[in-house]
Amino acid sequence: MITAHPGLPEFDYIWPESLIEASKFLADHPGEAIPFMGGTDIFVRMRDGFIKSKYLVDVKCLEESDRITFDPEAGLSLGAAVNMNRVIASPEIQQVYPLLSEAAHTVASYQLRTRATVVGNLCNASPAGDTTGACVVLDGTLLVHGVDGFRTESLKTFFLGPGKTRLKPGDIVRAIQFPLPPPGYSARYYKLGRNASGDLAIVGVTVLGFPDDSAPSGYRFRIALASVAPVPLVPLEAEKILTNEPITPENITKAARAAMDACNPISDVRGSARYRKLMVRNLTEKLIREVWQKIGNGR
Amino acid sequence: MVVKNTRVEDRIARPIGENIPRIDAQEKVTGAAQFVDDIPFGPGLLYARIKRSPHPHALIKSIDTSKALELPGVRAVATGADTPGYLGLYLQDRHIFCRDRVRYVGDPVAGVAAVSEEIAERALDLIEVEYEILPAVLDPEFGASLDAELLHPDMGEYVAAPFVFPQPKTNISNHFKIRKGDFEQAWKKCSAVIERSYRIPHIQHVPIEPHIAIAKADLDGKITLWSSTQSPFAQRNLIAKGLGKSQGDVRVIGPYVGGGFGAKAGVTMEALVVVLAMKTNGIPVKLRLTREEEFYTSFVRQGLVMHIKMGCDETGKLLALENKLYWDGGAYTEYGVNVARAAGFSSTGPYEIENVNIDSICVYTNHPVGGPMRGFGHPEIHVGIEQCVEELAQKIGMDSVRFREINCIKEGSILATGGKMHANGLTTCLEKVAKAIDWGMKSQPSGPDKKRGKGIAIMWKAPAMPPNAGSSAWVELAEDGKVNVGVGGQEIGQGSFTVMAQMAAAALGVPVDWVRIAGPVDTKYSPYEWQTVASRLTWSMGNAVAAAARDARRQILELVAEAWNENLEDLDIIDGNVISYKTEETLPIKNIVIYGLPKAGDTGWIGGPVVGRGNFMPTYVTGLDPETGQGERAAVHYTTGAQAVEVEVDLVTGKVEIIRAVSAFDVGRAINPDSVKAQIEGGMVQGISTALLESLQLKDGFVKNPSLVDYRIATSVDVPYKIESIIVEIPQDDGPWGARGVGEHSMVPTIPAIANAIYDATGVRPDAPPYTAEKVFLTMADAGIV
Amino acid sequence: MANHRIRLRINGNLEEVEAPSNMTLLQLLRDKLALMGTKNGCSAGECGACTVMMNGEPVNSCLVLAVECEGSEIITVEGLAQDGRLDQVQKALIETGGVQCGFCTPGMLISIRALLDRNPNPGETEIRDAIVGNLCRCTGYLRVIQAVHEASKQQTIGLV
Repeated sequence: MITAHPGLPEFDYIWPESLIEASKFLADHPGEAIPFMGGTDIFVRMRDGFIKSKYLVDVKCLEESDRITFDPEAGLSLGAAVNMNRVIASPEIQQVYPLLSEAAHTVASYQLRTRATVVGNLCNASPAGDTTGACVVLDGTLLVHGVDGFRTESLKTFFLGPGKTRLKPGDIVRAIQFPLPPPGYSARYYKLGRNASGDLAIVGVTVLGFPDDSAPSGYRFRIALASVAPVPLVPLEAEKILTNEPITPENITKAARAAMDACNPISDVRGSARYRKLMVRNLTEKLIREVWQKIGNGR
Repeated sequence: MVVKNTRVEDRIARPIGENIPRIDAQEKVTGAAQFVDDIPFGPGLLYARIKRSPHPHALIKSIDTSKALELPGVRAVATGADTPGYLGLYLQDRHIFCRDRVRYVGDPVAGVAAVSEEIAERALDLIEVEYEILPAVLDPEFGASLDAELLHPDMGEYVAAPFVFPQPKTNISNHFKIRKGDFEQAWKKCSAVIERSYRIPHIQHVPIEPHIAIAKADLDGKITLWSSTQSPFAQRNLIAKGLGKSQGDVRVIGPYVGGGFGAKAGVTMEALVVVLAMKTNGIPVKLRLTREEEFYTSFVRQGLVMHIKMGCDETGKLLALENKLYWDGGAYTEYGVNVARAAGFSSTGPYEIENVNIDSICVYTNHPVGGPMRGFGHPEIHVGIEQCVEELAQKIGMDSVRFREINCIKEGSILATGGKMHANGLTTCLEKVAKAIDWGMKSQPSGPDKKRGKGIAIMWKAPAMPPNAGSSAWVELAEDGKVNVGVGGQEIGQGSFTVMAQMAAAALGVPVDWVRIAGPVDTKYSPYEWQTVASRLTWSMGNAVAAAARDARRQILELVAEAWNENLEDLDIIDGNVISYKTEETLPIKNIVIYGLPKAGDTGWIGGPVVGRGNFMPTYVTGLDPETGQGERAAVHYTTGAQAVEVEVDLVTGKVEIIRAVSAFDVGRAINPDSVKAQIEGGMVQGISTALLESLQLKDGFVKNPSLVDYRIATSVDVPYKIESIIVEIPQDDGPWGARGVGEHSMVPTIPAIANAIYDATGVRPDAPPYTAEKVFLTMADAGIV
Repeated sequence: MANHRIRLRINGNLEEVEAPSNMTLLQLLRDKLALMGTKNGCSAGECGACTVMMNGEPVNSCLVLAVECEGSEIITVEGLAQDGRLDQVQKALIETGGVQCGFCTPGMLISIRALLDRNPNPGETEIRDAIVGNLCRCTGYLRVIQAVHEASKQQTIGLV
């Protein structure tokens, strides 16, 4: 039985003026202070009674968090507070990292995307997060500021479970950084929701592929699956097939099947485990084919 | 010389048939339109919250409210101890607050009024309730059996409408029957028979404005209630009865309604806040449902288990139909009992069938309260009927449109209840949608992984209401001739105020922009209207408004006839001027409608303030035999129609996209054709939404998805690029200018039309709606197609 | 619970208000400033009835804290008409019949106004995408979408 209340519970809103002040406050009040940016997940869960916190610390406006910085030599730095509509509209992101735009564009609605952020999406660590797959396959690293100063966190080890990440009290993500993507790459994200668009992902499939002479097949693929595991799932067997064996329709099907076999989704109000697995298979196959069309030069 | 027109009742005066813009639209686009939550009550307003049962079925052993009463800011607490009376429209089966037992998760057990919503909410946790859990009934067929726990042991004492037949000592609160023809023989003559079962899930109305009510109780016991309601007068009646008060001491005010669809008919949460207000010494109390509460504590649309069997001969003539309907009525079926009846007597679908056996059984279960929802049982029954018709046609190798043409109800057809069908445009509607969708022609899918198909369904529905549901109206004028029309029916978005203004203008003879509707409806000043439901306002309230306007017209003309010494038949009112066909004299109606006219020679005055009145109540609805369901006239009239869709099914995901959609309905006369089309579009989209997305997922009596996150409705990306709406007009003999209602009907055939299209595209029929991508995909997978 | 003094501009008017930490912008507008046009349909960012413009971009005001609006420019439905003249989007919605019960209308108008502000000539897909977060249960959306096309045309004609 949902116990949603009419309004938000009581809390104190804290607006720190610097990263150092913010990290200190959060570390000084472990278990009773949480950072927030867009608030679109946190406020909803507070109203539903799933989160209680004495302090809500607004970390949107901290130094440089609202910048999109692209360096043609080094890559992209996407500030934590950059809202998703800006990610979608950014010319550099559209040009160099269109997958990020594509993934962000599938989120909910325009109004929610005015507030929602990619970093917030990651820190929320919902298995259904739409941008997590893109960030994983684009090799994103988080620039985290904690009580001990700055450090980086690889997304490969960042997610620990639904709603759980490696962040500790005092940690605030300042930006997510992406290296330059592999030359000649192509990538796609498919979000399977219930409505024709928007909604939450029943299953989310991200596929990125690029030519790589060091691979026996001549290509490497990175795949990430959302909503089929407690954390974003990378089906390593599927990736291995595409790295080691020639990219043929049969092997694409084989890789898709391997992706399906790698996951063990739950059945919930949004979808059954059986359907989710079959959709992983179908959508992975579909996206690998689409990416292959782009990078395979019609082979 | 001006030519005299025909009788004012018969001529199509302006602006009948004109597409005038909605008269409430400007208020709404500026944000000025006032809904209940917008009414300012000042800082003294109290807020209520309700403590609800966490169990589907349990006895209440004790309630301790003492700690809640001690919380600073709490002003009143109420429980079932305060509410011994019964509420109910067709069957008085529920207490305002539960007394000895709770019957569904969400059943109101106690209420708190406090200085803020937050404090009232906190106080709920301080109320201690001890329950003794009882076995729950979670299926209507099981609930109807004698093995099921008895949910209403006192059913025998409940007051029921005369056409409702509760069966005490069971969970059956109504059993409607039709026994017509020689049933056993008929099956023998059939060359093809189809037998199917369907489980139609519960859904909810999802009005964008959740339920809300504000109550004030004066120290002398008079109640004022502001509510988002389709039924100010029914609320007055039911709440008065439930509290043992006189209807004259209960006043209900109904501002604009942010969507109703049936959820805001009758009484759901409004009585709760009235009871609290009776304990706050005259200070008003506001109760708002959260969206989550809206999903399962107001009304839901009850689920249905349907067993249908139909058979035809080799020429395609339907010979026999048997329908067993088990309605999952929920914890209280005070409204749902009539769904069982009304859908029951229509559950042949719009077909003439000689041998009919219907059992439509309303069953108590420990599920949310089933109530009226757009279509009133008809969308549910058509899901089965219109798919079976398809399958039967296929079985004998006949095109299903042809099959329907042979069997569908025509003027003079004998109905399942024994009466005769009136003139109607059903065949025309069917032909027009078949043509519009290019029936019989396949179109190319948009890609290799897609399949396309077309489906059709026809429907009928009569307004479901007591045989003597009435409407009334008054008309008065201001000095400048502007008209004020009093009505008791609500503007819930369907455009009723606008068409009433059109009808008043036409019947009186004034420009339509001279006419105002006296809203908000207020039972203290507004004339009686049964309810804004059943697609009845245009027809019933329209008759009353037209009668009132004609009465005002008559008063004006009698005045002028006397002053001009002319005959009434030679005078008319056109564009706000009285004209004489004989002398061609004209006189504006302004001023005379208040001050009358002077007598010749300054010898006095004649006339006086004009007040027109009118009412309408059908007088010809007969009862139906409780054993056979036969009676001369079961219903006032039927609105018939057809829909066709073209779908594209994605073989990769199972997603169904509506490529084309067509609707045709016989509305008798479209008073405002654009408004009719807007209703048709909106209803069809609601139908598409319920077909592809919606179900309340019930498990162990709990709704697992009571929020917009997981109860999905159609958004802007889910609707086709165009919905073609075709208006057919075969006049209703007793409708204003021939008009008949259409508010509900465009939602009725949509699910089976889509199911039939999915079958045409893929060769499979999913077992039940909603036809989500998962349902369609797994059905195809199980059939080996994907 | 902390209280904050907030200065912000609403429909062009400078306001100075006090609000507790947990008050949403929606509650500030309705309960403190008596701007009733913006509606509450779900308190969860799903229905869009509470949509307002914040610094030129549409947001669900039920998911924005009042205190976060310090220094912001807010436009609500009450701010669309100028000098008693309806905005093009309001006129268009009336003309196409895209208003029925009217409860979703204020939020819908803000989303539409914001869309035409950022792209005066949106195509069908972009229009649908812009209002996917505004639920309507009455109209079926087609006339709303038509109104956007209409308003876009009228605006262009007005500019020439």
